[in-house]
Amino acid sequence: MDLAERRGVETDVYQPAEDSGLLAAEAESRVDADDRVLEVGTGSGYVAERVAEETGASVLASDLNPHACRQARERDLDVVRADLTTPFPESAFDVVLFNPPYLPVDELAERDDWMEIALSGGETGREVIEAFLDDVGRVLAPDGRIFLLVSSLTGVDEVVERAAAAGFSAAALRDESYPFETLTVLKLVR
Amino acid sequence: MKESLLDIVCCPLDKEELDLEVDEREDGEVLAGTLTCTECGETYPIEDGIPNLLPPDMREESPA
Repeated sequence: MDLAERRGVETDVYQPAEDSGLLAAEAESRVDADDRVLEVGTGSGYVAERVAEETGASVLASDLNPHACRQARERDLDVVRADLTTPFPESAFDVVLFNPPYLPVDELAERDDWMEIALSGGETGREVIEAFLDDVGRVLAPDGRIFLLVSSLTGVDEVVERAAAAGFSAAALRDESYPFETLTVLKLVR
Repeated sequence: MKESLLDIVCCPLDKEELDLEVDEREDGEVLAGTLTCTECGETYPIEDGIPNLLPPDMREESPA
């Protein structure tokens, strides 16, 4: 069974699932109306739209995938096509949200389509998260916070350790267990 | 994109400011145009209201 079969038939853009709902629920209760918010890897734009609607904050959605960018824009979001946080200036955001590609990938099952890029965190499941943690501190305001969704399949302790190395302390806001994984929303602050 | 977005985006290569050139505008949004880095001169297209701020070597449409 390959990744597309595991997640359904959509092959271009990851559609909202349990992880998206969990991140949106935590973020919308913790974002203030005057926060400047960035969602990295917005996919369909579901989380960004919910946070914008529920909090009134100004939310910028970004994704590597051009199909995702178009879907997010259909939700009336401000959208840019970007690789993680690379095209954003220093201290630009109070809040950064990320539901990353986190599944460890069996190289034999690699598919080379946009859905795989949306799901795959490389061999460890942490490759994209690590690249994210390496640069996100630059674009975050001094008292900013990050809400990051992590799965037990990815290794929550390993992510917390890596975040610490990047200068962030982590707190788990909420865990939800599903048959194959436990999802955790981490809040990272300096 | 809204013009106010210029305050929170920069050149992905050298993080310098971007200049906006508008080709098409609708309801206060820029639908088509070009963003140009004020320092290195690299250009980034805006299509269907979405600026493509990927570094030039990542711009192709299809995945790896």
